[in-house]
Amino acid sequence: MSADFERLAAILKQVTGYIYPNEIEIHWSILIVVYPYITGLVAGAFILASLVKVFNVKEVLPTYRLSLLTALSFLIVAPLPLLFHLGHPWRSFEIFLTPNLSSAMAMFAFVYAWYLMVVLLLEIWFEYRTDMIAWAGALKFPSNLFYRIISLFSSDTSEKATYFDKKAIKAITVIGIPSAFILHGYVGFIFGSVKANPWWSSVLMPIVFLFSAIVSGIALILLLYMVITPSRGEQLDMKCLDRLASLLLYAMIVAFSLEGLDFLHRLYESEESIKILSDMVINRLFISLVVMQILFGMVVPLGILMLVKLARFNDELRKLLYFVSAILIQIGIFSTRWNVVFGGQMFSKSFRGLTAYKLEILGVEGLLTALFLLVLPFLILALLLKVLPPWGKIINQDASVAS
Amino acid sequence: MKKRVTGIPDPVLRLGIVFICFIGIVLFIRIVIIPSPLKETGSQRTSAIERELSREIYFAGSDICSDCHDEESALNRSGHHKYLSCETCHGPALEHTEDSEILPSAPREREFCSQCHTYNLSRPTGFPQIFPIAHNPLDPCISCHDPHDPKTPEIPGECSACHAQIERVKIGSPHFFLRCITCHETPEGHKIQPRLVSSTKPVEREFCATCHSTESRVEDTPKIDFLIHGEDYLCWQCHYPHRPEIEK
Repeated sequence: MSADFERLAAILKQVTGYIYPNEIEIHWSILIVVYPYITGLVAGAFILASLVKVFNVKEVLPTYRLSLLTALSFLIVAPLPLLFHLGHPWRSFEIFLTPNLSSAMAMFAFVYAWYLMVVLLLEIWFEYRTDMIAWAGALKFPSNLFYRIISLFSSDTSEKATYFDKKAIKAITVIGIPSAFILHGYVGFIFGSVKANPWWSSVLMPIVFLFSAIVSGIALILLLYMVITPSRGEQLDMKCLDRLASLLLYAMIVAFSLEGLDFLHRLYESEESIKILSDMVINRLFISLVVMQILFGMVVPLGILMLVKLARFNDELRKLLYFVSAILIQIGIFSTRWNVVFGGQMFSKSFRGLTAYKLEILGVEGLLTALFLLVLPFLILALLLKVLPPWGKIINQDASVAS
Repeated sequence: MKKRVTGIPDPVLRLGIVFICFIGIVLFIRIVIIPSPLKETGSQRTSAIERELSREIYFAGSDICSDCHDEESALNRSGHHKYLSCETCHGPALEHTEDSEILPSAPREREFCSQCHTYNLSRPTGFPQIFPIAHNPLDPCISCHDPHDPKTPEIPGECSACHAQIERVKIGSPHFFLRCITCHETPEGHKIQPRLVSSTKPVEREFCATCHSTESRVEDTPKIDFLIHGEDYLCWQCHYPHRPEIEK
């Protein structure tokens, strides 16, 4: 208890102006920043995957399976920040069993379940079905049993069955795109529908979230592709990289325009909150918003990608520039989530004062937990890449190469 | 399996079985395992109402008190404590209504009244508040105030008796030397019934201009040109007069 008071006292020293007593401490912590960041990566990665199947963007085919597995590994971790944040996480399953139709937060559980089970798992299952049958046939016990179980004891690898798989994948992807939009649009919807909070309350919020999600998802796949492929001793497909970078550039232009539009709209509207919000941006969020989000997260990578598009750099320099841009974008999108979550809590609803956020290092809502949750999807992805390799081969000590 | 069963494609059939099993498990938990009260969607669960109704009753309600104590009840309804129920001070009285030998409590100690009337910043302006240490220490409240019709024995002489918070703010401000009635016209009735009879606030810019206009002859006050400053706003819409931010 005394530690809580000490923390409050420390925050109180940074409070400026007048704020209500219950506004001193920020309750939505870094975990609530991690959550939209992770769901954004899921939606972005899936939308990239859908480009291959629905919009026939052949160049990015090498990243198709990687995108699906990345989306799955991040989706598995997506609810964890929320569960860690809850007081009684073991009661969370009740939102499935006693649904509350009037609560957007409660209905998200169904959006999540739909996306996980009807979209991602199904698409991955159809995509890998024939591979799993092959692995089940080539590997020894117990690996073969594992693949037989996850293929649901399926054995039909005929042309007709493969054709059906392709059709099913296309149909699921078509359903998946709006689902991915809902998945991440929902997160923006939750913030955008808080009427009493002028920093959040905006109809543009779901759209802004969605496009920033697409940007972060494509950037993540680009990063993963650039790291994983050389580590397997293979050459990077430059056509694929260039196409990914182009898609990233277009998505960034839309995202940047939308964020700019939202910003201009707020300035032009100049509601009574504008003074305190300006004060907050200048005195509390300057580094995270102006420097990290806009300058390093948006303007610099946008400039780099445009430069690459216009100039004729050699392959090595292009790779370096893509890599740097993708990392900067990840930092920028994380800062975007940071600014949305904390910006909405840092100013008093009296519009007369500001509080500050004190990041814990240890503790459930601390930095280490957040880092763990950010690393965990990569560990799951490593496992998935082992179990369901996107390149269609399994190297096993029992069977050298199968399929 | 396969087409031999229904003509449904093999993968769909396999996935269908998995989904049906999953949905079946969820429905089984939902229908069989979860107790029915937990599935009610109304704002109150029926079982909760039944549980509350089955509890032992202690309070009689103020209506029944007036049947015997009509004098106190009538006095109470005309005074400032008219929104308080008898049992707020006297405690649960159901037993007393059934057996007049059992007497409800009648608090006489200062601490009881202090629960509501000790000075607290969050209480509304005009609510009677005192500092128990400074306000007739050790005397029981009821020696001066009748709890059924609490009135101050004498009309407060100073505004700070009720507006202590403002008084304290004003102490640190350049307006400290101004008396409250310089700016607020205060009818005598306001001291007796503050919520019914209000005091006034200045409604003309000219009022502040008497001291703060560039043409004012009052010395040592901040001066501004009222023709160009503040448009049509009243001065106190931007400046808090009890502690005006701008000091000379």
